[in-house]
Formats: sequence, structure tokens, C-alpha cells
Amino acid sequence: MFTAEMLGAWFAAFLTLAIFSYLYDDNPFYKAAEHIFVGVSAGYWAAQAFWAQVQPNLFGRLWPKIAEGSELTILERMWYGIYDFMGMIAPKGYFPAGGIEGHDQIRLSYLIPFILGIFMILRLVPKVGWLARWALAYIVGMAAGLRFYGYLNSDVIEQAKAAVVDFSGSWVVILNGFIVIIGTITGLLYFFFSREHKGALGKASKIGIYFLMISFGASFGFAVMGRISLLIGRFNDLIRFKGADYSHATYWILGAMIILLAVWAFQKKDDTGELTT
Amino acid sequence: MQKFLNFIVKLGSVDRRIIFLLVGLSVLIPLIKPLKIPIRPTSQSQAVFDAVSSLPAHSNVLVSFEYGPSTKPEIHPMAIALLRQLFEDGHKVFGMALWPDGVFMSTNAFNQVAEKEMHLTYGKDFVNLGYKPGNEAVIKGVASDMRALFTVDTRGNQISDIPMMQGVNSVEDFNLVFSLSAGYPGSKEWVQYATDPHDILMSTGCTSIQVTEILPYVESGQIQGILAGMPGAAEYEKLVGKVGLATGMMAAQSIAHVVIVLFIILGNITYFIQRKQSKKS
Repeated sequence: MFTAEMLGAWFAAFLTLAIFSYLYDDNPFYKAAEHIFVGVSAGYWAAQAFWAQVQPNLFGRLWPKIAEGSELTILERMWYGIYDFMGMIAPKGYFPAGGIEGHDQIRLSYLIPFILGIFMILRLVPKVGWLARWALAYIVGMAAGLRFYGYLNSDVIEQAKAAVVDFSGSWVVILNGFIVIIGTITGLLYFFFSREHKGALGKASKIGIYFLMISFGASFGFAVMGRISLLIGRFNDLIRFKGADYSHATYWILGAMIILLAVWAFQKKDDTGELTT
Repeated sequence: MQKFLNFIVKLGSVDRRIIFLLVGLSVLIPLIKPLKIPIRPTSQSQAVFDAVSSLPAHSNVLVSFEYGPSTKPEIHPMAIALLRQLFEDGHKVFGMALWPDGVFMSTNAFNQVAEKEMHLTYGKDFVNLGYKPGNEAVIKGVASDMRALFTVDTRGNQISDIPMMQGVNSVEDFNLVFSLSAGYPGSKEWVQYATDPHDILMSTGCTSIQVTEILPYVESGQIQGILAGMPGAAEYEKLVGKVGLATGMMAAQSIAHVVIVLFIILGNITYFIQRKQSKKS
């Protein structure tokens, strides 16, 4: 019987092989997989952002669930009237009747992010698109302030402390400490552009280049290792999907894809006069 | 000799698709016909194991899932091995995600280890708080007031109704933060916005590509050890004492590395021969 799990396996096998087909050439299978990936990712992210953050944490604070038996003031009734109106125009479930569960009191300060969010959407309306700059200004300012402390504390102060040579350790620790401090100073000197790299500065910055090259080499090695791990993951799934449990999905899709790619390549040859390799 | 050199040059300019095929086969064959290779834990993996082992009984551990299906082969085996160790030691595990697809990973890992293997109770032994968008702002929120950020868990339960959430309000209520990270936001942001400012013990398992970025924090003691990619996961499985997925995949990883190194050497030899020949001519 063809179950939902099997359908998922067939789709996963198709998408994996479609992406691998790029190794032969840029082709319709690859393009289809690429577009599906981008579309699904954007849609999924938007849905998650709404249901995990905007709905419970923004609307939930502006219009919390009204406790049973509680009486609302005129202003509160008007406020919940806006909510009811939004519930009328939005699809069912977005704004449940009587407010959103999770919070016990109205927090009007959350009107600020709500308004800034609307400003962001107004970017789509050319006449008032400039309002989006206010929201962007807030985001940039907030991010700069937030990151400034994080970088200063963890990346500058703590790392500077860690670069100090520990003379109380064994000779290996002391030697390692010296290598670290020489690497740090010479690496930084390489990026000092206020003076021409000549004489002592030139020599030091050249040592810095060697440290940087070792670092880039290590990064490259780890990057290769990571990519191979991902390949292993995909192969593992393809091996799993070739079994009878999944009606030999891998074999069927691989076979069909090879035939269709061959047809596509020959059609392309007819159009251009040469076979793509 | 000249013929041999020409042969090497020809070999060095082989079609890239042949290289793809050989690397692919070097990965595929060991997966179909598994080989057993010895695994020795590095000092960094041992440091992670020691940090988790040294936690007091019934500690609160926050495990953040910052990876998705694309990096699952590297990180998921770590998550499984880590959860096994945490639950065997009797700690309470609080799962959360900074990546939207991290929720799938956390749900899958909890389902496999906590429910199927160990038959633990949701809400008492472990909880899955789910995903929150906002990157470092979410970490900052966890560091200051978790309850303002998380109102319901992934199962729709109110946070205030979950027994193990009693008394847990911020990052300071955790004995360890463990970041399973595949990029931004991830381990680095946890260090910068939560564990460093609040002086909380932190450890990490990350993708290979991130290792050089995270290592300075490990060397300075800001992070306790690091599980580096698939080898790190295999080493941790050995330390925890239960062979898992990563151990089985290490043969393919090692053979692929040998093939790639051989191609790099061949490429360099070809380059030097060609350079010598062009100088002569």
C-alpha cells in the first residue's frame, strides 16, 4: 500500500537526485528542486514566524483571552472590537473568539512593535514606503546595540585574556601560549594599513600571513569534512529508500531521471547543434 | 620519463565529473559494505563528556537545536548520544530551537531517546519549548525572562502548567547550556548573549565547517569542549558507550578524505610539472 511515508520517501529521493543531477549539467530537474526548496523554505519560515511569535507573543499580549465572568470597560470593549473585526476578515483560527490564550493582561506597549511591523509592510505601497525606514532604523539600532556588548565582552576582552601566556603551566602550555600570542599579534599587524609593510612591520605581517594561511587551510579541511558528511547523509537516505519498504523508490527515480536527462540533452543538442557535456 | 610526466599532467587535468564520480563511489561503497575503523576520542570530545558527567544530580540542562535536515548527518547523532547521557544521569532536559526546522530535529530526538528508549514522562523529565524567530534577540530573551518569550510548548501546553518549568525563568536557572549548532544563530551567539554575561557552563556540538570559528571560545574556556562534526559525534557515541549512526558513517568519511587528499597531491604535482615545462619552453 502506498502510504504517506512512502510518498515522502519518493519525494525525498526525487529531490536528492534532482540536486545531484547538477553535477552533470544545469537542467530542469535541478531547477525544479531549487525552486521548490526556496518556495517551501520561505513559506515555512513565514508560517512559523506567525504562529510561534507574532500570534502568541504580539497579538496574544495585545488581546489576551478574557477570563470567564470578567466585565470589560467601554474602552476594553472597543479594543476587543478591533480584534473581533480582524477575526472577521482573517481566516478561521487566526484570531480565536474572546482573545488569545497565554497572557492575562493587555500590554499596550506592544503597540509599538505592531505599528513598526505595519510600517515594514507599507514598503509595498510606494507613496508611504518611506515609513519602512523607521522600522529599519529601529532594527539597525537595536542590533548594533545588542551586538556591541556581545562582541566587546566575549570576542575582545575574553579573547585578549585568553591570549596571555600562562607561565604556571607545563612547557607545552607555555610554548602554545607563545605561539598563540605571536599568531594573534602578527595576524592583526597584517591588517594594519596605516603604514607601508616594510622593515620590521613587513616581516611581522609576513609571519601573520603564514598564520592566516594555516587557519584558512584548517577551515578548508573542516569544510571538506562537512560536505562529505552531508553527502553521506544523502546517500544513507537513498540506500534506505531503495529497499522494498519504499517500493525501490531510488532505483525507479534514478532510472526515469537518467532517461529523461538523456532526452533533454539530445533535444538541447538539436537546438544548439552540439551535445552538452 | 617524459611520457610518465605527460601521463601525470593528463591525469591532473581529468574531467571534474570523473572526480565527482570517484569521490561519490568512495563514500557509497563503504556505506553499502561497512568497514570497522577504530575511533579514539579527542581531548575536546572528552572535555564535553566530562562537563556533562560533572553536573550535579537532577540538573536543568537547556539543549538548543540550531540545525536542520541539511546538517542532520553531522549533528543529529550528537543530539541522540547527548540525550542518552543526560537522561541516564537523571537530568531534566529543556529543548528549544533557534532555527525553524530545529523543532523537527528536537521532536525526533526526544521521541527516539526519551519516549521510545527510556519511556520518560513529558513535562516531568523533558520538555520541548519549540522555535522562536528572532535570532540573538531570542537568546537575550532566554537570558533575561524566558516566560515572556515562551508561552506555550510544541504540544500546545501553557508553560505555567508544565511541572518541570516551575522555578525556571531565565538562563540562570540552568546548570548547562548545550548548543547543537550548524551556523547562525548558534554557539557563538549563545556565548555572547547568554552564557558569558551570566557565567553559565556551556558546551557545544557543531558542524565541521564551524569548528575553526568556535575553537577560540573553547581554548579560552568560554565553551567546555567541542564535538566537531561527524567525527566528534562518533567519538561521543564511543564515550557514551552506545554505537550509533555516526560510528557507522566514519569509514565512508575516512575513505573519502583519503581520495580527496590524493587528488590534492596529484593536482599539486601536475601544477609543478606544468610550471617547470612552461619555464623550459
